[in-house]
Amino acid sequence: MTKETMNPGQRVKAAINLESYDRVPAAPLMDVMFPSRHKGMTVADGISHPKQGFQAIVDVFDEVGGWDAMILPGYSLPIPPKIGAFLHGAIGDTRYPGKDASLSLDSPPQFVEKELLTLADYDDIASLGWTGFCEKNFNRFFPFDREMALNWCKRQIDRYKTEGELWTARGIPSLAGSIVMSPLMLLSTRRSLVSFTQDLYRCPDKVQAAMDGMIDDFITVAIEAAKYTNIPGVQLILERGGCFYYPLKIFERFEFPYMKKMVEAFAAENLITVMHFDQDWTLNLPYLLELPKKMCICELDSTTDIFKAKEILKSHMCIMGDVPATLNSIGTPAEMQAYCEKLIDVVGKGKTGFILSTGCTIPSDTRFENFKTMIDTAKNHFPN
Amino acid sequence: MSDLANAIADLKEDEAKKIVQDRIAAGANPMSIVDECRKGMEIVGERYKNKEYFLGELIMSGEIFKDAMSVVEPRLKAGQSGKPLAKLVLGTAKGDIHNIGKDIAGTLLRAAGFEVYDVGIDVPPDVFVQKVKEMGATILGMSGLLTPSFESMKQTIQALEAAGLRDKVKVVIGGGIVTEMVRKYVGADAFTDDAPEGVEICKKFVVGLGK
Repeated sequence: MTKETMNPGQRVKAAINLESYDRVPAAPLMDVMFPSRHKGMTVADGISHPKQGFQAIVDVFDEVGGWDAMILPGYSLPIPPKIGAFLHGAIGDTRYPGKDASLSLDSPPQFVEKELLTLADYDDIASLGWTGFCEKNFNRFFPFDREMALNWCKRQIDRYKTEGELWTARGIPSLAGSIVMSPLMLLSTRRSLVSFTQDLYRCPDKVQAAMDGMIDDFITVAIEAAKYTNIPGVQLILERGGCFYYPLKIFERFEFPYMKKMVEAFAAENLITVMHFDQDWTLNLPYLLELPKKMCICELDSTTDIFKAKEILKSHMCIMGDVPATLNSIGTPAEMQAYCEKLIDVVGKGKTGFILSTGCTIPSDTRFENFKTMIDTAKNHFPN
Repeated sequence: MSDLANAIADLKEDEAKKIVQDRIAAGANPMSIVDECRKGMEIVGERYKNKEYFLGELIMSGEIFKDAMSVVEPRLKAGQSGKPLAKLVLGTAKGDIHNIGKDIAGTLLRAAGFEVYDVGIDVPPDVFVQKVKEMGATILGMSGLLTPSFESMKQTIQALEAAGLRDKVKVVIGGGIVTEMVRKYVGADAFTDDAPEGVEICKKFVVGLGK
């Protein structure tokens, strides 16, 4: 083991501020799935029994000797009790193990792509804003009582806050006190990819007007949640606007201006944006230089070229990632060690600006020895 | 290059629709319209390979192609659509209900001249094997976006072996997290995370299969 001279909070802060650290910090994107299975529960059990699920995460943390930060503290959701905030995440058809008979009890929750928002909704969102649209249409998406939804939000965000505090008491920072999608991400997933793509080509002005109507409400709620949970960061969920999906001209009009506005608004409140990039964003990386310096973390899932990201962003923002899910799931400890050492040597070069993490959420069928190797490598392999 | 092929390649939806309707009204051979549409899709594939186009353009062109086919196909006489490049069974492996990648691959494969049997999502090994047997398919395409799908892909290939079909059927796996490591683990012949590349792989299979 290398000689540690910093505590986890100092180490992570140094990485974000592009200052020197004693070793590369490790911060997996953990949820209850893998820990529940590791502790002999099903994924369904871990999800439906939040206390046991959270305890399973803590047990895995202790069994590997700890890591340096939680990206999200547990599996609860930081949703303020407001209808717009509730529907931001809840418009959608997510199937859960234990609740949907077609999924095995160890299946990850799975999102079903459906056309839940209509073409006509764009105009409504543009004129009413996201909050107004949700207030007007709540019962179209949810037949149950509004109070029930708001109470659910309150329970979720309170639990999220408590989970964050439990980690803080252990000296482990959490990076995101709030989670928000970009307008493009929300519209694409709730219109469905095919229809949304057609909308971009058939009626781009309508789409843009809706995005303009959404953005301020998204920002307000994200800041409110981060302040309430007292965790100074926001995880911004980004997938559908990158170069895997669309050419740069679409990114430049429908994704980047909104990303930028969000990141700048969060930075003005001293909130670090954890930009959660799913899929390939390699061609989009140069644009990130326009975002506030040292106020973002570029979180990659192994499909964006992380080595290119280091070249482009090394003096501008911290990079986090990107151990492929396949390595945790079907790789060997030797393969894991080799990959993590390469990341530490190349992306962690200069002893700054890199946090070793899983590429997206750690998979439910992770092999414990692989995950332990990932954490051990962060602790034992010095960057050059 | 025909105006129809160009309209599809340039994603001119209304123009492509109008040309198809005009050709049908003028009594054109439906099969020649299909060929032009396929040519347009080939150009889209080339632009994708050259990074001029991305997934969004594949989706748009695929939808334009499907619209054109919905008009033309009913007018094709039995047997007129020609011999397919190969019969192919396609589905998302058991444990995974994602369909976007599979659907895009299916559209592109059909546009390239394959006869595609889409068995849907969350497909158990025995259903894949049964369909391969029933259709006499020579290619099996399995898609997965989640790591638990790897195990069912592996089981499906084992089931193909048990049914005595493995040496007659080429297997390609696809999905955002599929890699060479996964290909080896499940025992597939090829992998891709890119639908147009998947079409190229299947075309190579056809050559290798001696079709």
